[in-house]
Amino acid sequence: MLLFILPFPALTADEPGADDVIYYTDSGHAGFMSRIPLHTFTGESEHLTGMIDFEENAVDFYLDLNTLKTGIGRRDRDMYRTLNIEQHPYAEFTGTLETDFDLNSDSRQSATAAGEFTVHGVTREISIEGYLQRQENGIRLEAEWVLNIEDYDIDPPSLLVIQVNEEQEIKIEAMLESQPRDEVIGSNASN
Amino acid sequence: MNRNPVMRLSAATQVINGEGIQAPEQFVTQEIRARLKYKNHQHMKVIILAVMVLLMVYGAADAQLPRERVETDDPVDNVFRATTNIGISTVRNLSAHTLNSTVLHTFGIIHGGDGRRGIDSFFGLDDGANTRIGLAYGITDKLSVNIGRMTFNKIVDFGGKYNVFRQTTSNSMPIELAVKTSVGINTTPGTGFDFSERLTYFGSVMIARKFDGFSLQLTPMMAHFSRTAEVNPEELYGLGFLVNYELNDRFAISGEYLPVIGDRNVATHDAVAVALNIDTGGHVFQLFFTSSQWHNEPFIMANNRDRFWKGDFRFGFNIHRVFGTGR
Repeated sequence: MLLFILPFPALTADEPGADDVIYYTDSGHAGFMSRIPLHTFTGESEHLTGMIDFEENAVDFYLDLNTLKTGIGRRDRDMYRTLNIEQHPYAEFTGTLETDFDLNSDSRQSATAAGEFTVHGVTREISIEGYLQRQENGIRLEAEWVLNIEDYDIDPPSLLVIQVNEEQEIKIEAMLESQPRDEVIGSNASN
Repeated sequence: MNRNPVMRLSAATQVINGEGIQAPEQFVTQEIRARLKYKNHQHMKVIILAVMVLLMVYGAADAQLPRERVETDDPVDNVFRATTNIGISTVRNLSAHTLNSTVLHTFGIIHGGDGRRGIDSFFGLDDGANTRIGLAYGITDKLSVNIGRMTFNKIVDFGGKYNVFRQTTSNSMPIELAVKTSVGINTTPGTGFDFSERLTYFGSVMIARKFDGFSLQLTPMMAHFSRTAEVNPEELYGLGFLVNYELNDRFAISGEYLPVIGDRNVATHDAVAVALNIDTGGHVFQLFFTSSQWHNEPFIMANNRDRFWKGDFRFGFNIHRVFGTGR
């Protein structure tokens, strides 16, 4: 019976407390590095949006792929076409933290998140390793992983006749600021 | 009195559920009360489980942010395909931390000239090229610096370009405005010139707008030559007209016209050029016909002695290659 009762206090609490807080950003950095022989280029965006909810153990991030820029317009358009962003505008990750995070510590802590990563309309289970660090104005997140675009049914594009390597190095960095859960999720949900 | 326990249970349940069937209290035996209590307990479990499931669904929905597209007010893309249209700089600038290499070539007059047939010089290709090799680097998205060296007069030039305004997709800024300055150094040995006499200074303002697939740029400019022939002015002023029309994602045609305003060098003419731009994503190739064999605006104004509309034009090509250097 205790099991049944436990969820109710969170619903009925009148005063926002630590349990009602999530860590959120809509201006995180996301980038990829793509390699072909003798050449490397990067794509960058400053519109990574996401949150970590330690109370609910939820991790959710997404990127509007239209904000990803390589510095060359034509290459950007080729990339958008390759990713079919008209139909699949987001790259997104939803999962849970697999490691504990000590909110009372200022040290840089290793973190692993596991969940579903979706891009190009294809979803795969992945595990991402990175770091979390509590700072004065929130929690800093850094993570890197290698994404094999063929796993997501993305045909490696070509520059001239040389095909881009199917393995793309992904990097994200964000400063997640403490926000009342209702303001972020509640207000957004009503949009 | 109904002796059937099932019927009595049903009747009692209806009483308890308020369904209006009034069963006498004496029908509700101890056994029935126990069974009703058990049944109600089961009902409560089902209700609580249903609430739990709803909570879990609600919680799961909460665990994901609603997806929202980003409304961007980006700079307009591809006002021109490259940082140089043909011979004149465009408002286009490099992104931060990118390196642009350029190789510019112009050959001899296609019709041969000097009494020769075109085929005698293989339509100008045998006459030797004036080649400028250059490197430019984007310090920020608005500021770049560059250095180059061309064959004629062994001129080494360096300078910078700064975008004051960028035309935006929302039209919150309707034009592009950039400024460029450069210094050229004539490094030809054995001329007897002092270093200061070898210098040429240049400045221009580039104002452009892209209308759908068509771009127009006006470029007032001024060049100062430290040493000139007595009959030629030290300052030259010009007004560059640049156009670009996008055929599709890969191809564009462009043109430029550079009239010299006011005093000009003896026997020079306004330069004209037309080009086909091929954009491969990493490279931009420009294949063109131009009256001037010189590169860079001050030297085009000072030295173009050919008249495009009289058939005095030559073939040339530019190659632009951008390298990302990362952050």
